[in-house]
Amino acid sequence: MKVKVVKKVLDANDRIAEENRKLFDQHKIFVINLMSSPGAGKTSLVEQTIKAIKNKYKIAVIEGDIQDTYDADRIAKLKIPVVQINTGGACHIDGNMIREALPSFDLNKIDLLIVENVGNLVCPAEFKIGENIKVMLLSTPEGADKPAKYPLMFQESAALLINKMDLISYIDFDLKKARRDSLSLNKKLKIFEVSCKTAEGLEAWIAWLTQRIDEFKKK
Amino acid sequence: MHELYLAESIINIISNYAEHNGFKKVNIVFLSCGRLSCIESKTLQFAFDVQAKGTAAEGAVLEFQILPAMIHCFSCEKDLEVEIHTGVCPSCGGHEVVLTAGTEELKILELDVD
Ligand SMILES: Nc1nc2c(ncn2[C@@H]2O[C@H](COP(=O)(O)OP(=O)(O)OP(=O)(O)O)[C@@H](O)[C@H]2O)c(=O)[nH]1
Ligand SMILES: [Mg+2]
Ligand SMILES: [Zn+2]
Repeated sequence: MKVKVVKKVLDANDRIAEENRKLFDQHKIFVINLMSSPGAGKTSLVEQTIKAIKNKYKIAVIEGDIQDTYDADRIAKLKIPVVQINTGGACHIDGNMIREALPSFDLNKIDLLIVENVGNLVCPAEFKIGENIKVMLLSTPEGADKPAKYPLMFQESAALLINKMDLISYIDFDLKKARRDSLSLNKKLKIFEVSCKTAEGLEAWIAWLTQRIDEFKKK
Repeated sequence: MHELYLAESIINIISNYAEHNGFKKVNIVFLSCGRLSCIESKTLQFAFDVQAKGTAAEGAVLEFQILPAMIHCFSCEKDLEVEIHTGVCPSCGGHEVVLTAGTEELKILELDVD
């Protein structure tokens, strides 16, 4: 006997993500799901972003590390509410992990929630968490072949930050190819060339992000 | 890595259907996903076998319908199937291409049950 199903395998997660989204909308919280491979510079970008706009918005951070609390400690130093999710070896953050982390925050006191996902270019792109936008980093030492190898994350992201631009003269990174291949996956992708070390190029990212948050708040 | 979670989700969906439709055994699970969706079918089957023990899904075979990856080229205005996406048109070598299909997420289409 045949039984028709026709259902997304991650349907249950999608529904939890929608519930999270409703909660964020009620509290007017703009949520970023930040993704990249390990070490591309996610925590560095979170630190730089906090420094740039913490006087304008009330920020909170969720850190998804497989084990240690190293990243969460870096954020806590900036006097920002931060919750560490222990993914227990999981390669991504899912909607339920976010739902379970939310009671640790006072949602009335957050304008912007940044979720640093687990370092991985495949899995995080598949799991919705209730975010407004996905943002990804690609660092120059990783090479320009990543869009071709991991297309989904590039398709799903609203913005791509090409990080560690300060290293570009030391390594073979085909910037033109990275930009072209990324755009061939996602014509609307907003690309920024930055260095989270020298802060070069970050003003454009901050300006773009600020505009997105303000538009959301006005709605 | 994500195969572990995908397998668990498939088993949960099957268990729900088994309860509602009253079947005891699943022979085949028909699935679909895009060619570029980074799903390793052998790994998924293995993760599924391990986790399905003792559930209605135990012993089921996963059958994949792989959806083609397609590009559109703005230089030669062709729609072409590709094995991998390189950002280059396989017909004219142009770079003005966009991936139009191939990253579809994993879906359960149908179950063959007893
Ligand atoms: N040269 C250079 N180094 C950078 C830059 N951004 C980050 N780094 C360094 O790269 C390393 C990793 O940066 P993190 O911000 O911890 O990266 P991450 O993506 O959060 O890493 P995981 O959370 O472990 O996946 C650190 O040593 C940073 O100092 C950059 O723009 N240029
Ligand atoms: Mg980090
Ligand atoms: Zn062509």
